[in-house]
Amino acid sequence: MPPPNTPEEGLLPPQSEPSRIASILATATPPPVDSAPEQAPSPEAAATTTTTTIHTVVPSSPEDPALLEIDYQILEYLDTVDETLLCPVCKTPFHEPITTSCGHTFCAWCINRALDIQPTCPIDRQPLTKTHDYHRPPLIIKDQLDRLKVKCPNKGCDHICPREHLDSHYERRCEHTMVRCPDARCRKRIARRHVQGPASTCMHREVSCRYCDERVALVDLNTHYDFLCSGATTKCSACEATVVLHRMEKHCAEDCLETQVRCKWHIAGCKVDDKRYLVQEHETGCPYEIIGELLKQRAEDRRIIDNLTDRLVALETERREHQERRARRRELSRQAPNTSHGADAIDLSAPDPSTFFYDMEWRPDLSNVGAGENRSWGSPEDYMLARFERLESRMEDLSKQVVELDAHQSMSMLQQIMPLNQQLVELGSKVGVLNMHTTWLMNMQRHNHLQQRAGAVSSSGSGMGNSGMASMSQMSSANDINNNFPVRLTEGGLPYRTTASRRNSDGRGEPPPRL
Amino acid sequence: MAGFATKRLGKELSKINSNSLPPGIELVSADNFEEWFLDIRVLDNNPLYLNEIYRLKFRFSAQYPIEPPEVTFVKLADRPIPIHPHIYSNGIICLDLLGQQGWSPVQNVESVCMSLQSMLTGNSRNERPAGDEEFVRANRLRPKDIDFYYDDNNV
Repeated sequence: MPPPNTPEEGLLPPQSEPSRIASILATATPPPVDSAPEQAPSPEAAATTTTTTIHTVVPSSPEDPALLEIDYQILEYLDTVDETLLCPVCKTPFHEPITTSCGHTFCAWCINRALDIQPTCPIDRQPLTKTHDYHRPPLIIKDQLDRLKVKCPNKGCDHICPREHLDSHYERRCEHTMVRCPDARCRKRIARRHVQGPASTCMHREVSCRYCDERVALVDLNTHYDFLCSGATTKCSACEATVVLHRMEKHCAEDCLETQVRCKWHIAGCKVDDKRYLVQEHETGCPYEIIGELLKQRAEDRRIIDNLTDRLVALETERREHQERRARRRELSRQAPNTSHGADAIDLSAPDPSTFFYDMEWRPDLSNVGAGENRSWGSPEDYMLARFERLESRMEDLSKQVVELDAHQSMSMLQQIMPLNQQLVELGSKVGVLNMHTTWLMNMQRHNHLQQRAGAVSSSGSGMGNSGMASMSQMSSANDINNNFPVRLTEGGLPYRTTASRRNSDGRGEPPPRL
Repeated sequence: MAGFATKRLGKELSKINSNSLPPGIELVSADNFEEWFLDIRVLDNNPLYLNEIYRLKFRFSAQYPIEPPEVTFVKLADRPIPIHPHIYSNGIICLDLLGQQGWSPVQNVESVCMSLQSMLTGNSRNERPAGDEEFVRANRLRPKDIDFYYDDNNV
């Protein structure tokens, strides 16, 4: 048990003894400063705790939860809730309802407590077992409960929403939700709107009120000033009125009738400087009012003039930028044609279109009158330049295409000519072969012819030695041809000879396969 | 849950204030959520209770309505203790409804009053419970700690 914490203990929300010890041990830090022995628990602390017990539930887990749970039993419902939606035990609209096996519906919490005492249904006394005999209630009940309009349970928050959205409002959005104090050692809670940031210090440490010396928790200081502070009021030295002390400045500056003030037309030269109520009387008929009004008017005019000057400067800058841009373009347009087109470009730039359009542009009606197409380009000159550029790029495209086409054409030409060449060579060789065959056949025929004639001569008589000699020489020449024939063939190469000879034997002059 | 009884009694009180109680039952005082006083009288002409008004004292524990309230008759100058075979002369009522076993959390102050009302109405025996004098002299227990034996189902 932590002995120094005793004054605090009575104020802590009820917790089971071991869990409280555990949580205190877990923090392992000295108890909060405000529980120091010389200080009795402040009324403020007591008040906070009371509100805690009234509108929030005890922490559900042994550790300090980030948020206190919403107590559904004290929620304020906007409309009267139908009796059938009220739990028979707690008489409030069901929260997390369950339906028993005998068909009655209760809040889970209520029926659990009731069954602890007596294991029967509170309504018809049928025996019930905790959780075992629980069923999910019809969805229609949930829908009806979800739709009930409730007020946010946080003090000071006027938010109204359907009950199903209450949790998210309370947990995430409501600025009045009590959250953990930013100081980890402090066990108290603080409204979310008072938490300045992750680095802010404990808002529960007590400070002395400036006006009444009372010890007040920092978080309550403003409320204390405005409503509770006993030493906060004092008498205004000028008007004798009772004023809250820290409001004194405001009182003197705006309200106090006895305070010395100047006429509001002192800017116009009014010298009146008196008590406020006299000055207020004076102000209604102050002769300087006219001057004051004029001055006001002048100030107003001044403001307008300044405004216009600013705009003029802005426009001027814009115009200059525009001109610079145009000059740059002109420069470009001069260079571009020279490089690509030579002589033509000179013709284009000769009349100097830029100067020509320059005049035009400076007559606003003319530039505006220009055709719709023109307008989108800003000035006729810009339009021409753009056209020119477009044409140029198109020409580039075209020349590229021409080159491409050229290459393509020569390619296809080559592809077509190649097989033709081959065919020609083939035909040439075929003709050669045919030639040889013909020669050979003719030689044969002549040889046969000679032999027949020689036979006839020898059988008829001698004296034909010449012819015999001649036939012999003929024979040898024929043999020469026979010997030469294969040699000639091998010259053409083996594959060629075979194809050629096959084609010859087929007797068909098949055209060579096209490539 | 802290303040469960308080919340429930708050609901009952606001309902009583807005709807008023049934005839014959009147709220005398409900200054806190621990002790209430109510007056009841019978509505028929039962000679035993004719023209009499009886004062009831309700004491609520923090576990109300899970636990029954402690209900007794109070004797005052103009508020006698009604004669009944289940009502001791010191005001203690022997009624199963008010015992741990007979109680149900769906009951409330109004329903208890009505039960007692009908208990008186239905009685015709002009007698105290058996051993009344002995019990009144010896009893130091609180009503809820007394182990009643509910044997009589007629009244």
